[in-house]
Amino acid sequence: MSSRALASTKPPVLLIVDDEARILSALKRALRREGYEILTATSPAEALQILEQRPVDLVLSDHKMPGMNGDQLLEEVARRCPGVVRMLITGWTQELSPGRLEELGVRALITKPWDDAKLKQTLRRAIEDAER
Amino acid sequence: MSSAAVHIVLFEPGEGEPGWAGALGRLGGEARVEIARDADACLTVARAPSVDVVVVGPAAVQAAPPVVDSLCGLGLPVVVVLAAPGDAEALAWFRRGAADCVALADKDDSALALAVRDQVSRRRAARQRDAAERRMRALELVSESVIENMNSAVLVVDAKGRVVVCNGPAGHILGRPAESLVGHEARDWFPDARGRGMIARSLDEGLRFKGAESCFTRDGANAPIGLSCAPMVGGEGRIEGAVATFQDLTEMRQLQHQVLQSEKLASIGQLAAGVAHEINNPMGFIHANLFQMAEYATDLRQVWQRLEELQKAVDGGDAEDVRHASGRLAELSAELDVPFLLADLAKAVRESQEGSERIRHIVADLREFSHQDTGEPVVSDLNQCLDSTANIVWTMMKHIVVLERHYEELPPLRCYPMQLKQVFMNLLVNAYQAIEEKVGSSGETGRIALRTRRREQSIEVSVSDTGAGIEAADLDRIFDPFFTTKGVGTGTGLGLSTSYGIVQRHGGTLEVESRPDKGTSFHVRLPLASDASA
Repeated sequence: MSSRALASTKPPVLLIVDDEARILSALKRALRREGYEILTATSPAEALQILEQRPVDLVLSDHKMPGMNGDQLLEEVARRCPGVVRMLITGWTQELSPGRLEELGVRALITKPWDDAKLKQTLRRAIEDAER
Repeated sequence: MSSAAVHIVLFEPGEGEPGWAGALGRLGGEARVEIARDADACLTVARAPSVDVVVVGPAAVQAAPPVVDSLCGLGLPVVVVLAAPGDAEALAWFRRGAADCVALADKDDSALALAVRDQVSRRRAARQRDAAERRMRALELVSESVIENMNSAVLVVDAKGRVVVCNGPAGHILGRPAESLVGHEARDWFPDARGRGMIARSLDEGLRFKGAESCFTRDGANAPIGLSCAPMVGGEGRIEGAVATFQDLTEMRQLQHQVLQSEKLASIGQLAAGVAHEINNPMGFIHANLFQMAEYATDLRQVWQRLEELQKAVDGGDAEDVRHASGRLAELSAELDVPFLLADLAKAVRESQEGSERIRHIVADLREFSHQDTGEPVVSDLNQCLDSTANIVWTMMKHIVVLERHYEELPPLRCYPMQLKQVFMNLLVNAYQAIEEKVGSSGETGRIALRTRRREQSIEVSVSDTGAGIEAADLDRIFDPFFTTKGVGTGTGLGLSTSYGIVQRHGGTLEVESRPDKGTSFHVRLPLASDASA
């Protein structure tokens, strides 16, 4: 990712993964004016497919999903594209130990239901840090 | 005469054995003769328990009367040997209590041998009778006190169905003093589902029954009892009466109910995390959507202000003002992308409505599940029971389970629907855990198939999974209370045993088939004409 000029005029690309389409819809709605290009996937498999086809700056993934959990997806993302910022958004926080999050290099764990303002701020900071 | 040596005490003062005593050696068996020379010695040796008879010789006649009195008092037979025949003398001895009198005549001593042998056999027969009587009395006492003091109620009736034995607990359950029930006609007591008395059925059909029935008790209420009833079969296979033992199950039923309820609460606890998540998702997007909708409202208020400005300009009639206001409106509309905003607002409302509807459903399902049954069975649709239960449990398992539902049209069933829902829930949670055990976090999924079938006289509900299966060694024990293969804190070991009990109380069966690593199927069969007594 570092080869890509993040400081260019191109908007940062967010890939949001959740098996619940309504969540994707609400997140897109909330982030509409944040200046991101938002891609969505309703399964980890679809997310990995997108990741192969397009450059992405940040993956924001649900945890509990059919077939593969969010932590496993982020592990795979880290393996394939280590430069991508990784975040989890989930209601199942008790299943994820701080150790596991650290091991995965997860930048932030956002709990559902989320606070719009905080979410926006967390994303903005993460993107800024990545651009630096 | 019994085989033990005959023990004779011979009371004869003087020295040596008198000649006539040789007859005592010819009794036809072994004999032990002990000679006592005086009254005291005689009384002492005669007290030995083995003594069969005391023979008083002619030389002892003088000293004998008080001795004979004492011996007769001890219950010992005394044979008095007279020197010469004499009816008056013999009569006097008989009056004293002597068992027999024999005269020594013409050196013929066979009469003495006969008399002694006769007394010995009588004595021995009487002893045996006494022993038997004592044994019987002891047994009677044992059985009486066992029957009276046992915890179970016992009722014994004769061939005509009249009460011959009724112990205290039986009287207590039946609400009458036990003694007052003796002699009562009991054929119709403990009616079965068709109203036929279980005692009558034992007497008439030889029925052996073990199970639950209800009976009328002290307060006239219909109390549940656990009843065992069996015919008493005498010689030639004739039924000579019946025995019923029973226990008041009221308290046990209450406990059972408590266990049921706490087991259900435990399973609800297991569900809670899944349900919380299921509610959390719609909550998440409704929450976010509301924020956004508030923002949209703010945006639209701005548009409305520009519209008002435009309207004012139109009213003012100044073309330049109108153009200006119109331009500002267009500018804002473009900036806010009003067509999108309106479309998305409608979409956000729609999605939020759908989300809140989902929450409503989850809460309704959960509330329905935590209900308690009323005391009476109700007519229910088993497909609906199974489906609503599956809906709740589904929330916790959907990330690793594909759920198939194959429902046949079913006739309504009189049952305790909440209890059956708990059975379905237990089976579903087990199926889910079996799949979880097998697939772990491999990313694979498992399959749970729900099937309902209408049979001739019953309804069959099957829950099959493709999970880890059950080891053959465990298969026999899975319905035992507290048996669990799950980790500490995961299973109480009561799920299947309570399920088994519930199905049994519905008159049905719960069967399992399983192959390790392939999966497990549970089949619940419930009779359509069920006499649910839960």
